[in-house]
Amino acid sequence: MTNKIDPKLMRDLERFGLKDACKCAHCGNCTAMCHLSTPDNPFPRRFVRYIQLGQRDKILSSAEPWLCYYCGECSERCPRGADPGETMMVLRRYLTSAYDWTGFSRRFYTSESFELVAVAVVAGLVGLALWFFNTGHPNWEHADVNSLWPAASVEIADLVMAGILSFLLLSNSYRCVKFIMGDLLGKVPLRIYASQLKHLVIHGATQKRLGECKDRMPWYVHLLIMTGYATVFLMVVVLLNGLGSEGWKFQRGWPEYPLWNPIRLAGYYATFGIMYGTTYAILGRLKKSRPAYKNSHATDWMFLILLQATTVTGILIHVARLVDWPAGTYGLYAVHMMAAIPMLVLEVPFAKWAHLAYRPLALYLVEVKRQYHAEASAPEQTAVAVSPEQGRA
Amino acid sequence: MAPAAAQAILVVGGGISGLTAAIEAAEAGHEVYLVEKNPYLGGHVAQFYQYFPKLCPPSCGLEINFRRIKNLPRLHVMTMAEVARIEGEDGSWQVTIDQSPRYVNGKCTSCGKCTDACTLEIDNPFNCGMDRIKAAYLPHDMAFPQQFVLDPALVKSDEAQKVKEACPYDAIELEMKRKKIELKVASVVWATGWKPYDMAKLETYGAGKYPNVINNVMMERLASRQGPTQGKIQRPSDGRAPRDVAFVQCAGSRDENHLAYCSSVCCMAAMKQAMYVRAQIPDARITIFFIDIRAMDRLDSFYQELKRDEKIRFFKGKVAKIDEEGSTNNLVLRVEDTNDATLHELKMDLVVLATGMQPNTYDDPVPAKSVEYDDHGFISPPDGKPGIYPTGCTRTPGNVSDAAQDGTGAALKAIQSVVRR
Repeated sequence: MTNKIDPKLMRDLERFGLKDACKCAHCGNCTAMCHLSTPDNPFPRRFVRYIQLGQRDKILSSAEPWLCYYCGECSERCPRGADPGETMMVLRRYLTSAYDWTGFSRRFYTSESFELVAVAVVAGLVGLALWFFNTGHPNWEHADVNSLWPAASVEIADLVMAGILSFLLLSNSYRCVKFIMGDLLGKVPLRIYASQLKHLVIHGATQKRLGECKDRMPWYVHLLIMTGYATVFLMVVVLLNGLGSEGWKFQRGWPEYPLWNPIRLAGYYATFGIMYGTTYAILGRLKKSRPAYKNSHATDWMFLILLQATTVTGILIHVARLVDWPAGTYGLYAVHMMAAIPMLVLEVPFAKWAHLAYRPLALYLVEVKRQYHAEASAPEQTAVAVSPEQGRA
Repeated sequence: MAPAAAQAILVVGGGISGLTAAIEAAEAGHEVYLVEKNPYLGGHVAQFYQYFPKLCPPSCGLEINFRRIKNLPRLHVMTMAEVARIEGEDGSWQVTIDQSPRYVNGKCTSCGKCTDACTLEIDNPFNCGMDRIKAAYLPHDMAFPQQFVLDPALVKSDEAQKVKEACPYDAIELEMKRKKIELKVASVVWATGWKPYDMAKLETYGAGKYPNVINNVMMERLASRQGPTQGKIQRPSDGRAPRDVAFVQCAGSRDENHLAYCSSVCCMAAMKQAMYVRAQIPDARITIFFIDIRAMDRLDSFYQELKRDEKIRFFKGKVAKIDEEGSTNNLVLRVEDTNDATLHELKMDLVVLATGMQPNTYDDPVPAKSVEYDDHGFISPPDGKPGIYPTGCTRTPGNVSDAAQDGTGAALKAIQSVVRR
């Protein structure tokens, strides 16, 4: 097996936020401390080693960075202050950019100015689109968004965007699969891929591995954001125009739904979930309350700011509609779109949101490989069994 | 020349470095006061079972030193005493010493009748609290001065009078009071030594919670014939001889969360203790978990010898956590083998933590102004500035022979302070 060395790897990773990996003296404390590290997939120390040695290929073909949920215990207990938890975070950023064939993600992660310009450009384009494409006959008597930007048209734009983003995310995900599976990609029979699909669904829906960390708070917060986000995603992509039915329209005209309407309640749940989660994360990052919040990359902030801006403007639109203030509603709607769309367009295929695909995918592939090895070489596992045997090292 | 009284040297701490400094200075003809907190001299060395790498007992070296003290009328030993205050400057220090009552005077012949008469028991500090002794006791068989001690709890109890009457030599003085002693000295040698790092702070190891997780000083006492088990190495939980013994190196050492430095002796100490186990329990399997092995120069051959021993396994990886199996009190160590990046959980009967050396000056600094410390509490005087001279493990962690050599060096520095006047 070739073992290519990239002497510039560490410097490259510094552009993704790497700081203290060079301090590591390889005692192995982090790997043995981690609740998620297993004999089959031990991490994080091994990855610090790869970084120090410049073993780019080993990193690209690894699923482990996605198995880490950054509880930060390894960093807290690191005898050298080498912050292995943050190193794994950096690798997730790096892998996200490596999976992205457009090269956009890499620029987004490594240049703050590029990131800002990208967000500004997309927001500007959305603003222009809203300015040029509308009915031209807004309802000035009542706050009715549909009078200016009809739900049916927005829904079409929505689906076009969803299609493009799905294409990008799926093509990047395919590269993720290709990198992680390596030579095994074609060797593993489809039957095994199919038999392990349940893991993809379970991990995607529950993130239960995060719940295995010692501190479960991040899991609860994450579940809140995830379910809130999934709810609002369904309403925006599927129900924006209510599938043609007036009673299910998320983008409803005037008047607002009665208080106990399921669409309205679902909106409240989603708003609460995302607001609680993002506020928790923003305060945490400001106060550096958890190890995971000690090092904030520019993209971490951009993600939280866009998500919270989207939610806050969403709340304000709701208020403007309740008080029936047409001008306010339309203005806020435009701002809302100018925050939401850059967030989706930039974050989903190219940045932090992409983990929604890569994490479950990595966990799924780990199971696929495990199953394949179990079947292929049953008596000779690649992993070293945990045993009290005391043979010579 | 200043008056003779002001030419005395004060040595604080009667462990191997202070003992050496005091004896060397006194043998050079100087008036020396040696102040020791314990009721006996010898410090940690007195607690050790054997030295590395020769595996010989420390008692013979201590005996030689005690013998030298007896020939030195100018060396004044004060046990159970601590320095309360130091004022002045190099060449002229005013020192206040605080001496606790021993309740036993010089008439004591160590006959042991007081012990027989006493029923009250206390934790035995000499054995790290692993057993209990009578409250009228000789600190240990080799104790110098060879004089019994009464615990204050006994003196306050109803038994006190009975114990006093048991003494045929009128050596017990229940009225003995705490004494303040004022001294004028020309220079001070500070040799208050070290303590094992508090293992209760190593939460992930459950030390102090799991009975079969002990530290390396406790292991010395377990191996010693005067120890809590009369030299039998056994599990504190059930007294069984351990089959799988783990030595966990760098337990709280080279760790920014605990002691950031290497104490330099724990590797050799663990190897030495592995030999204790080897000698006593031939079928025991020993694993030494290490990050790096520090066995320099001639000590390397000891390491090489152990590496050849098939019962001893060197395992490269820092143990991250220790869990106890409830009913058996066995221990499960989670550790990565960093040689091949594999994760292991290994079951052990007894775990010996290599807790590092923390200078006693970390918690009890010198009661004087202008003494400088490093980040870890070691005294680090700026080069060439005369004053209070640290020696032994007050200056830097080290082994016994380093400490003895350092003590001689400190004696020379202290003498220079005297003759410069």
